[in-house]
Amino acid sequence: MPAFWIVLIVLGIAVAGFVLGRSRALNAVIGDRRDLHSLPNYYGWNAALKGVVPALGLLAIWLILQPMLIERAVTGLVSEQAIAEERDLGLVLADVRRVAAGLDAAVAQGLLSGDAARDLSTASDDIRATLATAGVALGSDVQPAVLAAAQRFRVLSGQAGLVMVALVLAISAGGTLYGLREVRPDFRARNVVEQGIRAILIGAACIAILTTVGIVLSLVFNTIEFFRLYPAADFFFSTTWSPSFGGGSELGILPLLWGTLYISLIALLVAVPIGLFAAVYLSEYATKRVRSVAKPAIEILAGIPTIVYGLFALLTVGPLLMKVFGDDGLGWMQAGTAVMTAGLVMGIMLIPFVSSLSDDIINAVPQALRDGSYGLGATQSETIRQVILPAALPGIVGAILLAASRAIGETMIVVLGAGAAARMELNPFEAMTTVTAKIVSQLTGDADFASPEALVAFALGMTLFVITLGLNVLALYIVRKYREQYE
Amino acid sequence: MTDLSAGAASGQTPRSLTQTDARTKKRNAAEKRFRAYGMAAIAAGMFFLVVLLGSIVTNGVTAFQQTFLQVPVYLDPEKLDKTGNRDPEEMKKVSTFGYKPLVEDAVFAAVQAAGIETAFEDAGDMDALFSASAAAQLRDRVLANPDLVGETVTFKILASSRVDGYLKDRVTRDSVARDKNIDAAHLDLVDGMRDASLVTKSFNWDFITGSDASESRPEQAGMGVAMLGSFYMMLVVLGLALPIGVAASIYLEEFAPKNRFTDLIEVNISNLAAVPSIVFGILGLAVFIQFVELPQSAPIVGGLVLTLMTLPTIIIATRASLQSVPPSIRDAALGVGASKMQSVFHHVLPLAMPGILTGTIIGLAQALGETAPLLLIGMVGYIATNYPDNIASGFFDPNSAMPAQIYEWAKRADPAYYERAWGGIIILLVFLFAMNAIAIILRRRFERRW
Amino acid sequence: MYDTASRLEGQVSATDIKIAARDVQVFYGDNHAIKDVSVDIQDKTVTAFIGPSGCGKSTFLRCLNRMNDTIDIARIEGEILIDGEDIYDKRVDPVQLRAKVGMVFQKPNPFPKSIFDNVAYGPKIHGLSKTRADLDDIVERALRRAALWDEVKDRLTAPGTGLSGGQQQRLCIARAVATEPEVLLMDEPCSALDPIATGQVEELIDELRQDYSVVIVTHSMQQAARVSQKTAFFHLGSLVEYDTTDKIFTNPQDSRTESYITGRIG
Repeated sequence: MPAFWIVLIVLGIAVAGFVLGRSRALNAVIGDRRDLHSLPNYYGWNAALKGVVPALGLLAIWLILQPMLIERAVTGLVSEQAIAEERDLGLVLADVRRVAAGLDAAVAQGLLSGDAARDLSTASDDIRATLATAGVALGSDVQPAVLAAAQRFRVLSGQAGLVMVALVLAISAGGTLYGLREVRPDFRARNVVEQGIRAILIGAACIAILTTVGIVLSLVFNTIEFFRLYPAADFFFSTTWSPSFGGGSELGILPLLWGTLYISLIALLVAVPIGLFAAVYLSEYATKRVRSVAKPAIEILAGIPTIVYGLFALLTVGPLLMKVFGDDGLGWMQAGTAVMTAGLVMGIMLIPFVSSLSDDIINAVPQALRDGSYGLGATQSETIRQVILPAALPGIVGAILLAASRAIGETMIVVLGAGAAARMELNPFEAMTTVTAKIVSQLTGDADFASPEALVAFALGMTLFVITLGLNVLALYIVRKYREQYE
Repeated sequence: MTDLSAGAASGQTPRSLTQTDARTKKRNAAEKRFRAYGMAAIAAGMFFLVVLLGSIVTNGVTAFQQTFLQVPVYLDPEKLDKTGNRDPEEMKKVSTFGYKPLVEDAVFAAVQAAGIETAFEDAGDMDALFSASAAAQLRDRVLANPDLVGETVTFKILASSRVDGYLKDRVTRDSVARDKNIDAAHLDLVDGMRDASLVTKSFNWDFITGSDASESRPEQAGMGVAMLGSFYMMLVVLGLALPIGVAASIYLEEFAPKNRFTDLIEVNISNLAAVPSIVFGILGLAVFIQFVELPQSAPIVGGLVLTLMTLPTIIIATRASLQSVPPSIRDAALGVGASKMQSVFHHVLPLAMPGILTGTIIGLAQALGETAPLLLIGMVGYIATNYPDNIASGFFDPNSAMPAQIYEWAKRADPAYYERAWGGIIILLVFLFAMNAIAIILRRRFERRW
Repeated sequence: MYDTASRLEGQVSATDIKIAARDVQVFYGDNHAIKDVSVDIQDKTVTAFIGPSGCGKSTFLRCLNRMNDTIDIARIEGEILIDGEDIYDKRVDPVQLRAKVGMVFQKPNPFPKSIFDNVAYGPKIHGLSKTRADLDDIVERALRRAALWDEVKDRLTAPGTGLSGGQQQRLCIARAVATEPEVLLMDEPCSALDPIATGQVEELIDELRQDYSVVIVTHSMQQAARVSQKTAFFHLGSLVEYDTTDKIFTNPQDSRTESYITGRIG
C-alpha cells in the first residue's frame, strides 16, 4: 500500500518540521521566549502544517485523477476493438484494468519478471493461465488489443506513481523548509497557524456540501444514462413494472409509487393518531412519574434498527395477520407479506417520531394561552382541542410531513414485509412493492450494470430523493415559521 | 357547536357551584374520554414495545442454545493414518469424507450401547443426526493433535439443525413428514438418545464467535465475523465522523460569519439528516465503488457511507453542546488575551466534550444498526466465512456486518435461520443498549448546569 | 330571570359581600406563599390588591378562581366563599367556578383565532347560545361592553393577534365578559400596555363596576387610586391592611403601608 507509506513519510517530515521549527524559534531569541511574537509551539505547528496539508491534498487529488487520466490515455488502443465486437467501451476498459491488475499480481508473486510482463504477447503465451495462477480469473482469453492496452496501462501507472511519490515528498519537504525559513522572532506564527486551522475547519464544514453534490451527481449522471436507454415518458407514466433481463423490460414507476404511498398512508394512519394522542397525554396530563417512564419507553421504539422491524414484519406480524385475514380466517390475504403488514410495522416505527416532534411543538405553545382558556372555564380537553392543537397545527403538519418523508424513504421494512409484486390495487392485504424495495432488488440482482434494468434504480433513487427532499424542505419551512410565531 | 338541550339549560343555570349542571357533566365526560384516548395511545405504544421485545426474546433466545451429540469416537489408525508415523502432512491426505464414517459408526455404536431401540440397522442412517460440519471439525481436532489417533475420545458433535429444531420444538413430527433430510424414526431415536444423555443442549459460544455457514448448515452459522465487520466499520466512522463533525461544528458555531455560504452549509446539513438511508447506499455504490474503485463488500466502503450518514447527527449534537457553554467562558478567555482560536480549543471545547461524546455514541449506535445502504455496497450476499487475516484486510477485504448478516439469514429459506436472525438481533440490541447506556451515564455524570 | 333578579338585588344593597376569604394559606412546595389572609370583597366594587412584587397578591388572586389548581405543587388551606359557597368544596367543579369568576391576565393573550372566535369561545364551551344569531348577539354585546366594538366591527374575522396591545387586552376583557361572569379578576391588566391604552382599559374597568365585582392586582399605586374603591395592601404573603382606597392612600393605619405608599419599600 504505497499511499499508506507516503502518508507516513509525510507525517514523519511534519514531526521533524515541528521539532525543528520550535527549536529554531527558541534559538533565534537565545532561549528567551518572551521575545517571540507567538508561543514556540506555533512556530513548530507552522512548519508542520505547511509540510502536511499541501502534500496530502495533492496526494488525494492525484489518487482520484490518475486512474481516470490513464484510462483516457489507453482508450484509443481498445476503442476499435470495442466497436468491432459491439461491446460497451466501459466493459472493455474493465477488462484492461483486470488484466493489468493480474499482471501486477503475477509480477509480485514472482511468476513473471517485470520485463516478461512487458513483453508478453497473446500469440505465444497463455496469459489466462498465468494470471489464473496469480489469483486473477478471467472470463475469456485476452485479446491482443486488450493486452497491449493493459501493458500500456501498467507502464503509465508505474511512471505516474513514481512522479506522484517524488512530487508529494518534494512538496512536503519544500513546505516544511519554507515554514522553517519563516521563523523569525517577529514572525506572527500564531496568526498564520490559526488561519490554517480555520481553513481546515471550513473544509470540514464543506463535507456536507460535498456529500449533497456527490449524491446529486451520482443520481443525475446515471439517471441521464438510463433515460438514454429507456424513454422517460414510459418510466414516469407506464403502469407496468416488469423487468426482464433478456431485454424488453417495462419499467413504469407508477405501480411502485402507488405501493410506496399506500404503505406510507397506512403507516401514518397508525402513527399519527397514536403518536399525537401520546404526545398530548404526555405533555398535558401525565404526572412527572408517568412521563419519566412512558416517554423513554416509547422512544426506545425509535432507537431500534429498521432491520429489526423488518424481521418483526416478516416473521411475527405477517403470520399473525395471516391467521386473521388469511385463508383460514377472512380469506383476504394470500401471503404474510402485504401492504398491511409493512404499513402496520412502519406505523409502529413512526410512533415515537410523531410523538416526540409533536411533544416539542405542543410544549412551544405559550402557557398564557392555556391560562386564558382555563380562566374562561374551559376544561383541559376543550383547551387542548380548541386552543392548543389549532395553535400548534402548522407545527404538527410539519411533523406529519417529516414522518411521511421517513415512511417513503424506509427500506428494510418494505424489503422484508411488503412483498415483491408491483401492483396497483386497492386491497391492502395484497403484496405490493415500493420504490426503495426495487432500488435494492435492481442493484443487488445479477443485472449488468450498464443495462436499463440496473440503471433504473438510479432513476428511482432520483425520484425518491426529490420527493423526500421536497417534503423535508416544506416541513422544515412550516416548522420554522411556526416557531418564529411564538418566539 | 350550539347544543339545543344545553342551550336550554343555560337559561336557568343553577348558580350554586356545588351542583354540577347537566352540561358540565357532559363536558366532564368528554374530558374523561379524551384523557382515555391519550392513555390508550400511551398503552398502545407500550404494548407494541412489549410485543416487539417479547417476540425478539422468545424467538431469539434459543439461538444461544445448541444441541450436541456426546459420543465416544474411535479414531481408527487404519483409516486416518495408514503409514502410522503420525505425520500431520501425511494425515492431511485423508479428507473429511474419510472422517464421516467414523462419526456415523460412533453414533451408531453409542446408540446400541445405550440400548436404545431403533429401526435403523445401518450406521449410514445416522448422518441425519449430526451436522455436515462434524467430520471437518473432527478432522481439525485430529490434525491439531495427531497423537489422538488410535484412541477412543469422547467428542461433542454438533447436531444437525433438524435435531436441534426438534429439541427446541421448531421441528415437529408434522413438519418432518415433508422433509427429505430426516424421518420421524430419527426423531424417535433422538428421544431415546436424549433420555440416555447422548444428546444435550449447551450454551452456543459458536453462535457469538463463529462465522457464517452455507445455506444448508444453519446449525453452524455464527455472528463473529460479521461482528468484526461491524467493528471495522465503526472504527472508520469514529475515526472520520468525529473529527470532521467536531471541526465542522466548531466552524459553524464559533467562527462562521452569517452569510449565504454558511446558510448553504446549514441547509445541507439539515437536509442530509433527512435523506433516506438507501440514497446514501446509492452514493456509496456510485462514488466509492464505481468512481474511486474501492473494493466491494469491504468495511472501508461501509464505514465511509455510514460516516456521511452519521455526520449530521454528530454535528447537531456537537453544536448543541457548544451552544450550551455560556458566552462568559469565551469572554473570560478573550479577556485575558487569548485568541479566538485559543479560547475555543482551550476552554469551550473541553467543556463541550461530554455532550460531543454522547452525541457521537448515539450516532455510532444509529450507524451500527443501519442496513439499507449496506445492501447496495454488497455487504449482503457475501457469505462471511473467514476472519480477516490482519488489520488491513479487516478494512479492505469483503466482509459482512451485523445487520447485513441478520438480513442475509432472514432471506434464507430454512426456518432454522430465522432463529439465528432473531438471535443476531439480540446480539445487535445488546450492543445498542450498551452504547446508549454509556451515553446516558456520560450525560448524567458530566451534565453541567450553568 | 334569575340574572336580572340578582342584579336588582345587587343594586338594592351595594355593600353585599361577594367573596369572603378566611385564613387562606398557600404553599408552593415548601414555600409558604400566602399566610393567614382573610378578606371580604364586595359586589359591584373595584377592589385593588397592591404591594411590592413577590408579596403574594397575584397568588391570592389566582386562588379566587382556582387557577392554582393547574400548578401541581400548589397547596391551599383555609376557606374561600363566593356567594356563601366554599369554592374549594369537593363538589365544586372548577370549570363551573371559572365561568362565574372570569379572569384577565397580565399579558394580553388572545387565542390565535379570529376576533369573533376569541369572544365566542367562552359562550360556545358553556353553551350560552341556542342559535348563531344568539351567538352574534352575545359577541356584539361583549365587544361593546369592552368598548371595542366600533374599532373591530368591520373585521371580526381578522385574527385577534393582529390587534394592537391595548385592543388585544380589551379583546381579552370582552372574552371574559362574554361568558357572563359575576366576578372579574384582573392580574395587572395594564402592565404590558402604553399609557393611552392603559387609560382606555382603566375607563373600562370603572364601567364594569356597575355589573361585576372586579378584583384588580396592580403594581401601580396611581392606578389603584384611580380605579378602585377598596384597596388591600399585601406584604411578604400577608394582608397588611384592607380599607377604602381613600383611607389607605391618605391615612394608612400600618407603618408598612405608609412606607410603601410613600415609596420607601417596594
